[in-house]
Amino acid sequence: MQGALVHAEALVTSEGTLYPLLARLRKERLVITTWRESDAGPPRRYYRLTEAGREALGGFSLEWAHFRTAVDDILNDGGRT
Amino acid sequence: MTTATAHPLVHEYLKELSSATRGLPAHRRRELMQEIEEHLREALPPDAGEAAVRTELDRLGDPQDIVAAEHDRPGHDAGVAPTATDWLTVVLLLLGGVVVPVLGWITGVVLLWRSTAWTMREKLIGTLAPPGGYMASYVFYVAFAFQSGETCGTDSAPGRPDVTHCTGGRSTTQSVLLLVLLGILAVLPLLTATYLVRQAKRA
Repeated sequence: MQGALVHAEALVTSEGTLYPLLARLRKERLVITTWRESDAGPPRRYYRLTEAGREALGGFSLEWAHFRTAVDDILNDGGRT
Repeated sequence: MTTATAHPLVHEYLKELSSATRGLPAHRRRELMQEIEEHLREALPPDAGEAAVRTELDRLGDPQDIVAAEHDRPGHDAGVAPTATDWLTVVLLLLGGVVVPVLGWITGVVLLWRSTAWTMREKLIGTLAPPGGYMASYVFYVAFAFQSGETCGTDSAPGRPDVTHCTGGRSTTQSVLLLVLLGILAVLPLLTATYLVRQAKRA
């Protein structure tokens, strides 16, 4: 988790806020969790995308692509006035 | 075993978090505290120095921000309890017409449609199921239940006892239907009121 978080630092104001967000994803059944024993300490929770989660991600990726293109266009057009 | 969470700064942080989460449902509060504690346990070695602890706590972020993220959920219970005005609206719809005929109910309807707590569909149900709330039940009851539909005439002749003839009245089917309708009207306003209270939500 810590590794991926480094990349997400620009988006996440604090790592702690990830937990409420993950809880929301769980509640909306976009992810499911399993507990696995760990050798050092209490069992750990592992998150996995559900089918619905995969669809949601796919949908978001598409929207993001549109959004990114639109913003890029505007920004690029800003070069010439 | 792991003593990172025994570090005074961590202890302080967790205390702050515990206090900040007081408004959350008990199970979620417990869960979040466990998740954060687990996170710190993973991130900090038992012999972590103060600098490392401070860095990690900074990365976790302000407890208030974490709790704010909890509430930042569509439909989260704590944020969508009906307000006093919502309750007033529902009571007026239900009983307003009984206390102040017609006007009481109309006030409820106006409040309902001006409110931002319900969708169009919910507002329609609140208005039409049934129109008038318990006022409608009352009117219906008085208008129909007490009138048996019978007409009776009395023959009086001197020297003979009076004879009363009654014609008309309701058939068994009609009586049953009437009872069913009365039953529905007795229960429907309450059901609608409960529905509205449950559905009260704000953006």
